[in-house]
Amino acid sequence: MKKVALNIVSSAKIFAPIKIENLNEKKLVPNMMLRRRLTRNAKVMLYLSDQCNFEGGKIVYGTCFSELEETAKIANSVLEKRLLSPTSFQNSVYNTAPSYFSIINKDRDEIITISSGMKTSLQTLKTAALQALISKQRVLCVCIECLNIKNIEQINRCADYLEAGAAVVLEVCDDEAVEVEQKQTDGIIGALQDIFSVVNMHENGKNKILMEL
Amino acid sequence: MKSYINSYELLCDAGDVKALMDAIYAKESAITVDKTYIEDATAGLGIMQYEDIYTLLKEVVSKVLKESNLEDFHNTLLILGSSVGGMQECEEIFYAQKSYENIDPNRYSMNALTDYLEKEFGFYDSRAISTACTSSANAFVLAKRLIEAGAYENILVVGADGLCKSTVLGFYALSVLSGDKCRPFDKNRDGMNVAEAVAAILIQNQKKENSIELKGVGASSDAYHMTNPNPDASGAISSMQDALKDANLNPSDVEYINAHGTATIANDRVEAKAVEEIFGIDAFVSSTKAITGHTLGAAGAVEAIVSCEAIKRSLIPPQANLTELENKNINVPLEPVKMRVKNVMSNSFAFGGNNTSLIFGECI
Repeated sequence: MKKVALNIVSSAKIFAPIKIENLNEKKLVPNMMLRRRLTRNAKVMLYLSDQCNFEGGKIVYGTCFSELEETAKIANSVLEKRLLSPTSFQNSVYNTAPSYFSIINKDRDEIITISSGMKTSLQTLKTAALQALISKQRVLCVCIECLNIKNIEQINRCADYLEAGAAVVLEVCDDEAVEVEQKQTDGIIGALQDIFSVVNMHENGKNKILMEL
Repeated sequence: MKSYINSYELLCDAGDVKALMDAIYAKESAITVDKTYIEDATAGLGIMQYEDIYTLLKEVVSKVLKESNLEDFHNTLLILGSSVGGMQECEEIFYAQKSYENIDPNRYSMNALTDYLEKEFGFYDSRAISTACTSSANAFVLAKRLIEAGAYENILVVGADGLCKSTVLGFYALSVLSGDKCRPFDKNRDGMNVAEAVAAILIQNQKKENSIELKGVGASSDAYHMTNPNPDASGAISSMQDALKDANLNPSDVEYINAHGTATIANDRVEAKAVEEIFGIDAFVSSTKAITGHTLGAAGAVEAIVSCEAIKRSLIPPQANLTELENKNINVPLEPVKMRVKNVMSNSFAFGGNNTSLIFGECI
């Protein structure tokens, strides 16, 4: 098991029981046509990356359930034998949110999207540590779940906050670092718990963490 | 630390590795012209016969383990690439019951497949990548870097995607689905064939007798459009050049490019432009998707195996279903070419302008 020491350069988190308001979309995406195409995950990602002052570079994005709203639209269209919306289909892939970030910010660097169930944010952090190690650059690690779709109560048994996300900008450091403190954030889906722990540590003044590759 | 590909297996519409390579060299497409997925239209699809995707995964991964020098996968990291994960099973439940009630969320996402494999084989750890059609190609990117960093000695890369109604109808809605067998790089091509496959590749830090080296990886983003590649081909050029740089090779060192070559108007035009700019006519290029169809998140893994086989057999795969080449400044062989193949580049491109290039080479 190999671990690397990481400096948390910046961090942000946001969550809401139903829908996150005030994501600053008009400021972040002045182009109305493009703004109208954005998914919920993309809007949350743009907000979090802005809060972290991240303008470009390698991105490691994590999401367990991805673009649930677009996927639900597609499934209902198939069920009702309606023609699928091409926009919904292109917006349904797991790398949609960071792809919109790259288009809007002209970021031509690498994007990796991790989806590892309830371990999603842990595996995303590990992958971000690898990308920071090999590039010697700052890497954006961002995890988002937007579950606010019609009839979600039929299946949601674990999250009180239907929209949530967190982001950290990481870089490799030589300083003494500590293990991530595993403190559960109540009501947040398990897939986001690890990155919320890291953001909480940063908010409490602990900037150096150890992460297994 | 170098990365060596020491064993692999796959199952796709053409069969296993041997059957697939036989089909590729004989230019026999495994695509079916289907009339059931889309009302009032045909669709060229790469369809397999199987009970469920989990059965395929177990069969393929078991074969790789048997061929390897490992007793088990307890010290192996699993990196799986998929674009639909467990959605195939879940969408069928939803269409039948018109409700999410009986869908297990743990069987929906990408981790449905990694969870299954972890339980069956006891991997040390796992992660699932989902970057649409570059998913399993990006698994190779991470695998090479993790071995280089000395983090793991053994990594199993798996690419897996089953056919879903939503993907077939989605590509149809985008008007990029061919109603017939696809024709990569042909002037009159009319779109892609959605297909399914499972492929697994064991990458280790130790060389064996028949190892192929994973020499270079490159990745980039177009930063241009969600579905259309940048017409100036800058994203594809960037990932291909990054892979060459990572492998410490010149374009003249690469004999064959296994193209992404989906047979959509936009992809093939842009990829041919990128190949022309970097390689000219010095390297052979073909798309084996004319045989397999586009296996989406599994494509990177499937085509990695094809690339390794081209090196081992000293035989370059020809282009099937090609009548009139659109870009005449690239070298597309119509028949198998017998020659020493030292290095092969394999390209994968995806929605969101996600580009990945891999270089496989003979071990010196």
